[in-house]
Amino acid sequence: MKQVWSVIRREYVERVKTRAFILSTLGMPLLMIGIMAVIGFVAVLSEQSERQIALIDLNGQLGERVQEALDQAGYDVELAAPGTSVEDLDQQVLDEELEAYIVLDDATASDAVFAYRSKEPPGGVRSQLMRSAIVEEVVDLRLGEMEDGDSVRRLFQGGSLEYEPVGLDEEEAEEAEAERITGMITGIAGGIILYIMMLAYGAQTLQSVLEEKQSRVVELVISSLRPWQLMLGKIVGVGAVGLTQVAIWIACVALLASLALPTLIAAASDFEELAQFRQYLPGPGAVLLLVVFFLLGYFLYSSLFAAVGAMCRNLQEAGQTQAPLIFLIIIPFMLQMMTFQGNNMQWMNWVALFPFFSPIMMYPRAVMGDVPAWMVAVSIVLMALTVWGSAWVAGRIYKVGILSQGSRPSPRELLRWIRDA
Amino acid sequence: MTQNGTVVRLSGVRKTFGAHTAVDDFDLAIEPGTIYGLLGPNGSGKTTTIRMMMGILLPDGGSVELFGGAPDFARRSRVGYLPEERGVYEKMKVLDQLVFFGEIRGVARSLARTRAEEWLERLGLSEWASKKVQALSKGMQQKVQFISTVLHDPELLILDEPFSGLDPINQDVLEEIVLEEKERGKTILFSTHLMEQAERLCERVCLISRARKVLDDDLKELKRRERTGVVAVEFEDEAPPVVSWPDVLQVEEAGDALHLTLHDGVRPEGILAQVVAEGASLRRFELLEPRLHEIFVRHAGDPGADDAPSRTGGAS
Repeated sequence: MKQVWSVIRREYVERVKTRAFILSTLGMPLLMIGIMAVIGFVAVLSEQSERQIALIDLNGQLGERVQEALDQAGYDVELAAPGTSVEDLDQQVLDEELEAYIVLDDATASDAVFAYRSKEPPGGVRSQLMRSAIVEEVVDLRLGEMEDGDSVRRLFQGGSLEYEPVGLDEEEAEEAEAERITGMITGIAGGIILYIMMLAYGAQTLQSVLEEKQSRVVELVISSLRPWQLMLGKIVGVGAVGLTQVAIWIACVALLASLALPTLIAAASDFEELAQFRQYLPGPGAVLLLVVFFLLGYFLYSSLFAAVGAMCRNLQEAGQTQAPLIFLIIIPFMLQMMTFQGNNMQWMNWVALFPFFSPIMMYPRAVMGDVPAWMVAVSIVLMALTVWGSAWVAGRIYKVGILSQGSRPSPRELLRWIRDA
Repeated sequence: MTQNGTVVRLSGVRKTFGAHTAVDDFDLAIEPGTIYGLLGPNGSGKTTTIRMMMGILLPDGGSVELFGGAPDFARRSRVGYLPEERGVYEKMKVLDQLVFFGEIRGVARSLARTRAEEWLERLGLSEWASKKVQALSKGMQQKVQFISTVLHDPELLILDEPFSGLDPINQDVLEEIVLEEKERGKTILFSTHLMEQAERLCERVCLISRARKVLDDDLKELKRRERTGVVAVEFEDEAPPVVSWPDVLQVEEAGDALHLTLHDGVRPEGILAQVVAEGASLRRFELLEPRLHEIFVRHAGDPGADDAPSRTGGAS
């Protein structure tokens, strides 16, 4: 066991020290923020045009309102002087004096249909912003003509479902609602974390095995260690790196919630609403369950990834061979995405019991309270059994594979490896 | 020989890879405290034999024994094995790597560190201790790997082509260490295709050619047996008329010396007596022993020519 410990330590220390780990651990949150900032920035940037956009009002009711609304949406639009013809404006577009112009006519006043004339189609953001600004003005205009306009306007705002809990007082109801939202956030975040972790760290196990095999270090190591000890040490070592990363991320969120947020709110009371964020943080139970599912899922997949690494001679071969495993991880993620979008069907709860799908599909269901507790327990037991079985198979493949320098085994050879090892 | 039993014993070992027979009907016994040379051209089966000793390959026939039993995990841990392929963790620091290898072979972490530092000092690598292995030259990497082989103070050293890739100075350093380990009672088996090296170091040699054992003997014994009855003589002044001496079959000039081939059954002392009787003054009188290289050629063809046609290189 002492030797296994040495392998774990080597695997852990060497990995945590790498630039890749530090970058991905600290960089990932920063990257997310960065990407969102860049997307926002690019969207804004693409909306800044050098050339003018004009507006021509053939109906006579909408011109000024629309100009004002577009101005609020961030578009500096010039209203064409009365008597300007569409042909004049077309010519200006062709001469590149104007980028585009908008035609408001009777159809616009009745159905909010308007023409955008330009040499280039408008971008997604622009279409969206201009359309909603103009629709709103038309609706306002039309409602203003009606007697009970205000009531219809409220209708347009979407109405409201007011949940009135029976048997709960107001405070309890609020708590239940907060719990539901917490489950939702925890489930989605947990599902995504599990997905990323199993893919990323499974692949790292594969890489680590392959590296040792390719550099022939394994020949040295294996003269002092039993193959299963080496495999176990590797899997645990790489897994510990994964847990460290998740722990750091969770700690960041906790730190943000407990320190950064109050400071922010104290400094600028505008952010007061953010304080609610704290009540949606998952409790220790959900975190513990996440760790359980992570460990089971990670062991399940990484032992198989290790076997794939042992079978192959190089990364190209490994890339093809690992495809079935990757699918086994991606499929439940897709199914789970459907669930998150609100399409949860009862039979999916049973699909979630399939051990290879359980980490990604059962964990969110467990924290969102979609499945009874016994189902979660059964799922954990099934996964544990599968981990045991797959570790047994993978260990045998690994034992033969790491010292074989020949080509990748055919399925039949693989069976013989498993039988004879 | 010491009282402990045979360290390595192979009996009738055979190993095939598809249609190719790598090792055939191979017997070998290594007694404790000896330096044993496994000699042969590239592709003759040396590495395959060693891998079977280490339990990395399983023989298709025959049996392999290490310290009197199957080469299981416990017995293998008493061996220091230097594979032919130089495997290192390229991205690890030199000292960390050595400590790791010491640890997985059961040496306590702190002791492994002390020993590793001593060895690095001894092989002139101290200043590289905290560098990544990939920053080292091939020769230096090989020295690091050698240290990892001996760090747990094994009873038996199995070194597969330990000298290849080292410059002459480092070859000498390594030779010295091998001899020292032998003095400390260790058994050493190494494979090489360099005959001179084997001649300097080995007490016993085993010659392999084309997957089969050709010779296996004490080196001195072997040379005596393979002696061809040639005496080299060099005289201070004029040489006496050796051609006419009755014991001499043939004379060949070799630089300043004369190589006298004697008739069968003639003892070289007779020649010496004749020299004295002639009153000639000798500068040199030597029973010429065949070089290992010549012995090999005599038994197995030129070792400089590879057995495996696809590979090149090797000693000439």
